[in-house]
Amino acid sequence: MAKTLRTAVIGAGAISLEHLPFLSTSHRCELAAIVDLSPVSAEIATRKFGGVPYTDVDEMLDRERPDIVHVLTPPHTHGFLVSKSLAAGAHVLCEKPMSPTAEEAEKLLAEAAAAGRHLIENHNYRFNDEVLALREIIDEGRIGAVREVDIRMALPIRDAGSRFADANLPNAIHSMPAGVLHDFITHLSYLMIDLAGVRHFERVIAAMSNHGGGDLFTFDDLDALLISRADVAGPETDETPVHGRIRFSCRTSPDLFSLTVRGADGEASTDIFHPHLDVVIDRPGGPQLTPIVNHLVNGVGLARSGARNFGRKLLQHTPYHGLVRFLDQTYTALGADLEPPVTADDVLSAARLVDAIVAAGTREERS
Amino acid sequence: MSSSKTIFVTGATGFLGRHVVNQAAAAGHQVRALVRPSSSASVLSPAEATGNLALVRGDLASRNGLTEGMQGSDLLIHLAAVKGGDYFSRFSGTVIGTENVLACAREAAINDLVAISTFSVYDYGERRAKSTFDESFPVIKDPAGRDEYAETKLYQDELYQQFAGEDGRHMVMIRPGMIYGQDELWHPLLGGEFGPINLRVGFKARPPITYVENCAEAIVLAAERLVDPASTHQLDDEVINIVDDDLPTASEYADKVKALIDVPSSVPVPLPVMQAAARVGAVINRSLFDGKAKLPSIALPDQVDARFKPFVYSNEKAKRLLGWSPRYSLDEALSRSVGQPAGV
Repeated sequence: MAKTLRTAVIGAGAISLEHLPFLSTSHRCELAAIVDLSPVSAEIATRKFGGVPYTDVDEMLDRERPDIVHVLTPPHTHGFLVSKSLAAGAHVLCEKPMSPTAEEAEKLLAEAAAAGRHLIENHNYRFNDEVLALREIIDEGRIGAVREVDIRMALPIRDAGSRFADANLPNAIHSMPAGVLHDFITHLSYLMIDLAGVRHFERVIAAMSNHGGGDLFTFDDLDALLISRADVAGPETDETPVHGRIRFSCRTSPDLFSLTVRGADGEASTDIFHPHLDVVIDRPGGPQLTPIVNHLVNGVGLARSGARNFGRKLLQHTPYHGLVRFLDQTYTALGADLEPPVTADDVLSAARLVDAIVAAGTREERS
Repeated sequence: MSSSKTIFVTGATGFLGRHVVNQAAAAGHQVRALVRPSSSASVLSPAEATGNLALVRGDLASRNGLTEGMQGSDLLIHLAAVKGGDYFSRFSGTVIGTENVLACAREAAINDLVAISTFSVYDYGERRAKSTFDESFPVIKDPAGRDEYAETKLYQDELYQQFAGEDGRHMVMIRPGMIYGQDELWHPLLGGEFGPINLRVGFKARPPITYVENCAEAIVLAAERLVDPASTHQLDDEVINIVDDDLPTASEYADKVKALIDVPSSVPVPLPVMQAAARVGAVINRSLFDGKAKLPSIALPDQVDARFKPFVYSNEKAKRLLGWSPRYSLDEALSRSVGQPAGV
């Protein structure tokens, strides 16, 4: 029978409000403690969700002996909190980006392996309904071998009111190698790896820009081209290169998080912020009727998505819904001593792709 | 005028704060105004002209430099709060900000606090319509589940009470009603958005309004009396509501404002209709959606009560303890708000 895990949360900030509802209601865990440097934050969070409030991580680890620690603090504090938690014998689930570089991620993963514990980065969007639907379409071979993956995100990070645009209190993410892009680039990278089925892209060309200018933002725009193999030519095989495109912009609207997968036999696309699923493939009726059938099928699907999304908005089924599925699967696996759904290799592959994009982007910026 | 004091003011460039700073400086007090590092302080130019203003650059989200900026102050007027954004933005700005400023006040040995609360913390469902609304009105017992503004202001009140309960500390808590003034004449108490439609709810209720300069004067008086040994004991631990005299009905106020500025067109809805609709919505939410559906705040029963239920608001305590009476009538206040001489 799966074990119930004692859980502690470090950091009672905004993202904790996505983790804590699961942790306070799931039978797979017992919320033992919430730590925050702000006493009132820890106190109010425990009042709402349970557990004992702490302001000192060492004291909490010593007294509560948690089986798993969620590290939900700003990114520059992740490293030492992950290390402390692993040293205290806990598995660690860390918010993204876990580390500023792949080298540091590798070091932390090595600490976890030496301690016999799992270190898991939050790859929540992989567990969203729409992403799982794309994954299923790919796995069933409905669009053939994957040839291209296009991931685009647009968010108004420079607009007044954005947590990144406050010059009075610069967000800690600005100090990461890709600046504010580091807040999103982990999501974009693990989704690319998952949908393309490629762990390592041999060619990475990237432009990271600061189109809006000023000193607060290092970068506010990303355009990256990824090619899985650099030296393969000839007829179609399993070795045929896969192309990836990652794009982040703060200068288009509306907010967007679109994923398109193009295969040898068709394409499928969705948007995590505006969920729907379009599938363009060969349909019954031959080449003459296929475009019409695709339009009809996708049109009906779009209308159904509209109705479903109204209900989702009403019931607050947000783009974060994948986190609950991810946490549930993670706790189920850890409780049964099984491999969690986000593996060390997943974490390291994403960190290495982020490194490659940042290296290419900063190289391009310097030249 | 009472003897000059050094007053540290947070939220100094805000809608209410700027008037508090300017009036306190004009009254001869030394004012230290906390202003965010890159924010303009031009709204404090009247205070600056008195020579009684010093700006302290800082942000309540961080304690850096706050204690140093507060050293030597006689008291703290804490006005800063976040009124917009998601729950965590409000929690961070209002609750953690208050935790930080009170921690620094302790370090700077400031023992006297004028704490600004809000009418939003009162539980409007507890009393019958048309009953007297004064400081004895019950406060919401369970903050969770209320709208984000009320919830975070209730947590802020807890921090105030904690500070006031410590040895040697004194606090007076000011709860202003709906504050109006320049650029802030239309208010959620008159109605709100429901999807694409603006609703104006209720007609005969008299909203608890106070003109911003009247309210600021009450706050400065509270500060002067709190640090005056002769009156400290009268104010210590007291809660004082601030509303003006001769409150107009929502319709009267709306008509006067409409005569002065462009206001959004709106659909009038009688209060009983809105209350019934909100209660039906709540029943459907509970029975069909397990209470998880997120409805517009104007469609929530407790919000409808809080914003539109008619009460008879009293300012007797403010007058008695502060020696305050609203300096400007509604007509004078509206004229001042739109930059016209009184009576025009």
